[in-house]
Amino acid sequence: MQSNKIRILVASLALSCAHIALAADPPAEGRDRTYAKVCSFCHDKGVGPAILGRALPAAYIENVVRHGFRAMPSFRSSEIDNTALASVARWVSQSPASKASTASPASPAPSAAPATKAQ
Amino acid sequence: MTTTPRNVLPKGVSANDFEQALAQIRAIVGAEYVVAEDTALAPYNKIMMAVPDEQHAPSAAVMPDSVEQIQAIMKVLNQHRIPVYPISTGKNLGYGSAAPVERGQLVMDLRRMNRILDVDAELCTALVEPGVTYQQLYDYLQEKKLPLWFSCPAPSVIAGPLGNMVDRGVGYTPYGEHFLFSSGMEVVLADGEVLRTGMGSMPGSNTWQVFKWGYGPTLDGIFTQSNYGIVTKMGMWLMPAPPDYRPFLIQYPEDTDITKIVDALRPLRIAMVIPNAVVIAHTLWEAPCTKVNRADYHPGPGAISDEAVQKIRKDHNLGAWNVYAALYGTPETNAANWKIIEQVAAATGGTLITDSTEQGGRATQYRFDLMKGKPNLGEFDLYNWRGGGGSMWFAPVSQAKGSETLKQMQLAKGILAKYGFDYVGEFIVGWRDMHHVIDLLYDRSDAEQMKKAHACFDELLQAFAREGYGVYRANTAFAEKVAATYGPVKRDVERRLKRALDPNNIIAPGRCGISI
Repeated sequence: MQSNKIRILVASLALSCAHIALAADPPAEGRDRTYAKVCSFCHDKGVGPAILGRALPAAYIENVVRHGFRAMPSFRSSEIDNTALASVARWVSQSPASKASTASPASPAPSAAPATKAQ
Repeated sequence: MTTTPRNVLPKGVSANDFEQALAQIRAIVGAEYVVAEDTALAPYNKIMMAVPDEQHAPSAAVMPDSVEQIQAIMKVLNQHRIPVYPISTGKNLGYGSAAPVERGQLVMDLRRMNRILDVDAELCTALVEPGVTYQQLYDYLQEKKLPLWFSCPAPSVIAGPLGNMVDRGVGYTPYGEHFLFSSGMEVVLADGEVLRTGMGSMPGSNTWQVFKWGYGPTLDGIFTQSNYGIVTKMGMWLMPAPPDYRPFLIQYPEDTDITKIVDALRPLRIAMVIPNAVVIAHTLWEAPCTKVNRADYHPGPGAISDEAVQKIRKDHNLGAWNVYAALYGTPETNAANWKIIEQVAAATGGTLITDSTEQGGRATQYRFDLMKGKPNLGEFDLYNWRGGGGSMWFAPVSQAKGSETLKQMQLAKGILAKYGFDYVGEFIVGWRDMHHVIDLLYDRSDAEQMKKAHACFDELLQAFAREGYGVYRANTAFAEKVAATYGPVKRDVERRLKRALDPNNIIAPGRCGISI
């Protein structure tokens, strides 16, 4: 009797849990995967400047990703490999401004690209 | 083979020897996974600490993909006496990032080893490699529809569980003391030997991820905040997603309220009525994360005034202290415990907020997400407060007693103000302790601020040490000075262990002040 009760409780717990797990994030919907999984967490949320819809040069984007910029961390090829980097840079460069974005327009100008550091 | 002379070499290693070693390492991992050009090494040299980049410049980086490759690399490094600095995701931002503790060390970047090796849905455990990020683990659990949660730190999208646990980081769920909820490590030692801690040592054991202690001394601790081995696998406990999750915020109007907050919440935390790592965040932690622009309140140089902070509170509905915690359970248990929370909030003069969208702001939302282990980067808003990418965490440990917290806050605030910096702090309640985490934010592009930030961190460290307060974790630039605050005997034991386990002193010498 007692163990039946426990079983029912466990089953109902598992059911509630499954419900929680299904409430997942919406799919990326055609966005570049790197953008969706890394960049968007800052650049679509107003933490970093908006970067879509500004036709930023792809080479500039690649440079900033590898060097970091002010508080933006650098990303290594072990995290975003050269192919993924070229793809996200091109995608960001060509994409219109994000509708969902809550990003602020304030942003550094491409001319402020970090120079290669001398060691 | 490069023909340009190298700017950075490992200490005591000739250019010829280094080239030879690199050739051997390329043969092990493949040429594309060895980086030795200055430009390509830039991502390994982006730091937020108030010291010149050159001080933490790597000589090269290698990206192995397996334990076997690491073993083979260690042989080469021993042969040439080349110091190596292992990193996992390399996102220990404000603590040293991906840069080596000493100039010239070769970075061993384990980010490519990003396999989630096992998730046991019944026992609620996982076994992961160093390169796994929290976001990756989150996506994995979502895709498999597994109702399991983990605890993560604020930079969770890009940081990972193994590196965070090895640095003894903390998070915000009931499993927030991360090392406590780890179970089992695999470690490649300096001589290439592979150790599995706890039950993992026993051939055929299936209890590695469920019983941490094993037989004899439990060795896991010596591989955290140290340089005795390279951790290549880690077991971690996952939490069953609770049927009912009730996050809340309690705001308090005065700085001095911290004493009654801590004294009222401590019993609830120790008794686990509140099971998670409660956060008590000051106004100036909430303000950047609510998109308050510092210059609107303090356009000039120096630390922000108390009057300006008061005005920010009023204008943006922020508390002097903002307490974040949650209940995790069934609707019935949470309903019972909720009454206690309401009573405590009322009795201490706090304003209780439960709806992040209506009453709370964007800061509340990212906190509510973090307390259920949902990765985000909301806290990076802190970096917009001063701008310029300078950040060093000063994180002394405090007793969970009200009088102690106010004393620490006032001590820190005074020293920060002397150098023109703001008190941007929070207390994370462990169980009986609190991690008093202060972000020393400064403009790293301003030479004067760099100098002041360095001097300020130094004074904070010494002033707190004089009061008997030690930090729980520290950036690599201050490793030696922090280690010195813990006294000579501990350091001597650490040195003896280093001699025994790594006689050539090749794994991250200087990390946490440990060297031969």
